Amino acid sequence: MQVLMQNAEVISVNIWQIVASLCNLVILFLILKRFLYKPVKKVLAQRQAALDEKYSAAAAARSDAEADRAAWAEKMQTADAEAAQVIKTATEQANRRSDQIVGQAKEKAAVIVREAQTAAEQERVRAEAQIKREIADVSVALTEKFLARKVSPDDHRTMIDEAIAEMGENDD
Amino acid sequence: MTATAAKPNKLFRAVDVLLLVLAVLPLLAGIVIRILFYPATEGIDISGALIYFTLDTPIGPFPISESQVNSWLVMLTLFWLCLYLTHGITPEGGSRRQHLVEWAVEQVDRLVCENMGEYFAGFAPFIIAMMALSAFSSLLSLLGLHAPTSDINVVGGWALLVFFLITYFKMKCGPLQYLRSFTEPVPLLLPLNLISEVATPVSMAFRHYGNILSGAVISALLGAALTGLSKAILGGLPGILGDIPLLRVGVPAVLSIYFDVFSGLLQAFIFATLTMLYVAGGFPAELYARKKAAKSKKRR
Repeated sequence: MQVLMQNAEVISVNIWQIVASLCNLVILFLILKRFLYKPVKKVLAQRQAALDEKYSAAAAARSDAEADRAAWAEKMQTADAEAAQVIKTATEQANRRSDQIVGQAKEKAAVIVREAQTAAEQERVRAEAQIKREIADVSVALTEKFLARKVSPDDHRTMIDEAIAEMGENDD
Repeated sequence: MTATAAKPNKLFRAVDVLLLVLAVLPLLAGIVIRILFYPATEGIDISGALIYFTLDTPIGPFPISESQVNSWLVMLTLFWLCLYLTHGITPEGGSRRQHLVEWAVEQVDRLVCENMGEYFAGFAPFIIAMMALSAFSSLLSLLGLHAPTSDINVVGGWALLVFFLITYFKMKCGPLQYLRSFTEPVPLLLPLNLISEVATPVSMAFRHYGNILSGAVISALLGAALTGLSKAILGGLPGILGDIPLLRVGVPAVLSIYFDVFSGLLQAFIFATLTMLYVAGGFPAELYARKKAAKSKKRR
């Protein structure tokens, strides 16, 4: 090793210096790759991954919403049909029920009519019996009157009138 | 802000500052070394890199020159800068530095994919390294340091690596196909193809190195010229005022914007672009895809 301060020629080719410079570039390449390129790329990739994640989450939420909407639309359509069905069944039920009620009412009315008829029949029978009894009473009374005194035609007339009047009173 | 929240924040800031200091430190060290070791020169001084010492190896001498040392300083700076830029980046993002670093990485990714195709997506960090090393090496001249890129050996090493990469990807379809590619489209062009194969790295190295070196040479010439002019015009000023080359203040800065900043960044971009084009252009993509498809078919 010589320690001698001197300038090289302006153009002086030295193989060692060329090799050293070549190695310098390779070393700097490795340094930059390790300490600049890789970290920056890593950060960029991480950011991209985060973005992708966010986008995919948003897309998933969107598709969920679309599915929900479709389901709701379908439900709405079926709901119309359902409502129609409900109304139909309700109408049918109501009709059935009203028929039932009318039938019951008719039955009841028939029962009432029958009852009334029987009651009327009974009344008539009873009235007939009463009339018969009254007629019998009147006959008895007339007979008593006939037996009690001589009766003039005038008396006869008045007696009959009285008897009829009595009958009328009793008839009430 | 609560005390518990402030504490990690303070630590974070401390690490930030530490990383920045560590990133600047190599550059300061370069300036100190330059001031300590650079021999004072008079007049126009156009020479190669200063050789600090020479290692004797069996193959030949290995001069540890300014170019080498400055390259390593740039690499150190870039290493700490990387740590600073990626310090505290999160998937949520937010900090300005994260925006910057993400933008840069995505730009290079896009550039690589556009110029080379998806197959070469792994080239992005290499292209970043090449651009960064080239640009920062050239920009060292802003600090008054010797730009490593004005040394043919430094740029030559990169070009050699590019040549290896081109050849590696050309050989992807087998050495026979590689040799055959020199006789295309007609065998008559074989010598021309061979020359252009060798010319590729040489031209890349010479273009980059020549541009940066010419900038440095012109800057040196202009500096000397302005010193002379200053002496001729303002030499009559009394006392120490006459000794100060006042014309050198400001004027070289304008040229420096072109030769150091613009040219440096442009050459870095051109070098990286050419690398991408040559590597992707030499790769027989269609043939490789066909071969791969045939292979996978056979395997089935």
